[in-house]
Order: sequence, then structure tokens, then C-alpha cells
Amino acid sequence: MENHPSYPVLSELLQKYPRSAGSLFQTYNDLKYAQSWNDLEVLDLSSCQRGAFRGRRPNTDTLLYVVPCSLSESLSISWFHKTFEQLEKPTNIYLAINSEDSSIVYYKLSPGIVKPPM
Amino acid sequence: MTDTNAHKIELGVSNNKAYVWDVDDVYLLRAKHHICGVLTGTLPHVSQQNVFLGLPLILLPEEVVLLLEKNLAVIIDDPKAHKQPTPSQLKKWNNARISSVKAQIAQTQGGGEKVDDPKVALKSMSEEAIRKRKEREEKRAIAAAAAKAKAITEGLVIDGVEAGAGANDIQLSSSTSNPIDERSSTPTPSLSPSIDPSTSKTPYTVNIPTDSAPSFEWYSTSESTYTSISEAKKAGIWTYPETLHERAKCGVFNDLWEKGYYMGGGIKFGGDYLVYPGDPMRYHSHFAATVHDSPIEKLRPMEIVSHGRLGTATKKAHLLCGWDDEKSEVSYYSIEWAGFG
Repeated sequence: MENHPSYPVLSELLQKYPRSAGSLFQTYNDLKYAQSWNDLEVLDLSSCQRGAFRGRRPNTDTLLYVVPCSLSESLSISWFHKTFEQLEKPTNIYLAINSEDSSIVYYKLSPGIVKPPM
Repeated sequence: MTDTNAHKIELGVSNNKAYVWDVDDVYLLRAKHHICGVLTGTLPHVSQQNVFLGLPLILLPEEVVLLLEKNLAVIIDDPKAHKQPTPSQLKKWNNARISSVKAQIAQTQGGGEKVDDPKVALKSMSEEAIRKRKEREEKRAIAAAAAKAKAITEGLVIDGVEAGAGANDIQLSSSTSNPIDERSSTPTPSLSPSIDPSTSKTPYTVNIPTDSAPSFEWYSTSESTYTSISEAKKAGIWTYPETLHERAKCGVFNDLWEKGYYMGGGIKFGGDYLVYPGDPMRYHSHFAATVHDSPIEKLRPMEIVSHGRLGTATKKAHLLCGWDDEKSEVSYYSIEWAGFG
């Protein structure tokens, strides 16, 4: 892992939050190399004991927030409250759910009753 | 909405389920109060039908709690509202019943001539139906006998009867029997001595009323009406909500209702409710909602995946409804598939 090109950017948070290191590393690599996100930044989401990301999808201007988690951990409504609170209340976040075989699914989470697009 | 002088809808409760038997109340609930319930009544002969259902309307327990808390309805302990009838009330009821039977029989026997009265015309229509049914039954009986006879000629023995004798017996019975006598579903006259026995072969209809109030003089709701959930609970005829989960469901239901949404059962999309922006007859639901009992209740990411994915495939967002029992508050999160990754 130490020799991976992503390691220097993530090393501090990988060591700070070892329990979420796997999903942080996989999600970063997926966003940066597989999906080619721009302006990708790493954030310290201390209230949820993990790192998070902010960046733009290719050819878009909107800043999106991505919070990684593992398929096997337990979340809660108050966990969502804390996440939105610390990320300064964006209109939505993307939850990157990592499974053991390193596949990732992204789900959009919006606070409140938000109608789906037509 | 909380006008106490307004008409309160009577919810007949039996075995912890609330029923609405008045079609005007069903309309009022739906059009004015955003409460849909589920129509569950079938035709007696088509109990398997599952579309075009009629009265009674069954309400979700959350709907009952809401209606009582908003002073829109009262709970009636229906079995208790039927008092012991006085002999004169009973006699009056029985006389009305017998005179209805007599009137029907008189009409049936006097039938044949064409009358312009629509009621009588309807009567003869049903006679026509009876005649056709009779023909069908006769055909069926002959077919059955033929099948049996065929089986016998092929050497089979029915019910341990010798083949030859059996065939004769079957032929005989099918030619002499009157199909109408064999049909238990055809109402046959009661053995009441007050009816002329000579008319006892004429069928008539027994009308079973579905609502208690206007049908029986001895029906009185005055001592079995409950205007609040706590009163009904004290009387032992209602229990919901008892647990934290039930309180959470009532809290979420109430909050969504106050925001103007219509709620229906969520089983079709794996949730607790389907949430509609208007009457479900006119709108598709925008959300399938699940109720979470507390802010710290465990939520598996797999739930997010399955709810989110199903909702997206059906143009719905999934709504996580988190109940906070201490603050009596609901917080919502909407889930959709991200569309990338």
C-alpha cells in the first residue's frame, strides 16, 4: 500500500482511522483513476471516524461530497446528522458503499423529503 | 380541522381492527382528511376477488390513532352497542322480516305478467336468472351422470356399488331429482309456522344488513363510544400504539399527514408506507418510506442499497424516517441511486 501512488495523499487519514482505511483507499482510487474526478480533495470527517472526499465529476462544475463506508458496518440516522453537520450541510452527499471484493456502489443521500427527478 | 361540533366518523372496532361501514364516511375520510384505508368487502359468491372491493373500509392502526387525536372520529365498541332487545322490539323486527318474506313470495307467485314497476321488473330478471341457473344445473347433472355411466361401462365400480345396479340408480336419480332441492345455496323458506306451508317451495332473499345503526332499534352507541385512544385503551378495546416501534410509526404517519401527504401500505415496495403527493387515485407515489425507531437504530448499508435501487427503478426515492421518541420529532433522509460508479 505504501508504494501506491495514492498513498502519500491518504497516509495521514489511513493511519488516523485504521478501521475505515480500506474503504477510504478503494473509494479514492475509484474516483481518481476509474472515474477521473477533478479537484479531488481529502477531508477529515472526525465525527464519523473516517476521511471523506470532495471533488467534481468530469466535465461538471458541481462540487460533490463522497463519504466512504463498508458494506459490513452499521450506520444510523444520527450518523447521517453528524456527517451533514461536519461537511457544512451540503444539499446531498454520496455514500460510497465498499464491499469485500472492492466493488463500490454510490447512493445519493439528501436530508429532508426530496422528490426524485422526473 | 379540530372542530368538535362537526360530524365525527364512527369507527366500529372489533378485535383491534377499525372498520368504516358508511360510504359517506369513506368519502369524507378520503376527500377531506387524506385518509384512504383499504376497502375489503367482497361479494359473498366471489370471496376470492381482489379488485373492485367495497365496504367495509379497514383502517391502518396509525390512521385510527391520528383520527382520534385530531378529534375527527370516535371508536365504537360495536358488539357492546347491541343491547338486549325488549320483547316488543324483537316482535316488531320479526314482523318486518316475515312481511318482507311474504311480500317477496307474493311477488314471485304473481309473476309472469309484465309490469312497468322497475322493482318488479328487477324481480322477474332475477327469476330469469334462476331459471337459467336451473337449466345449467340440470345440464351439469346429466353430464355428470353420463360420465359416471361411461366409467361404469369401462368396468369401474363406484362407491363399492355393483356396476349394473349403479348405472340404473344414477340414471334414475338424475331424472327424478329436482335440482333446486339439492342446492344448499338457494335460500329455502324457513320452517316458521307463520308462513303458509303451501308456499314453502318458493325461494326468497334474506337481507343481511351491513351496518348496525339504522337496522336495529336496540342498537345504542351511547355507552360504547370512545373519543380518545386512552379511553379506548382503558376500556380494553384498543391497544395501539404499545411499543416504541408502534409509537414511531404513529409519529411518522402523523408528521407526513400534517405535511399534506397521503399514505398507503408500503408492502409493494418493501417499506412501511407509500407516500403520495395527492390522492393515490390521481398520483403515483414519490416515496417508499421506512420507519426507524430511534436516531441510533442500526442501519445496514445493504438496506440503503436495496431500498435505493428498487426506488430508482420505480421512479421513487426511498425515504428513511427517523423517529426521536424523546423530542417527538421526525427527521427524513431521501435515498436515490447516484447514477455513477
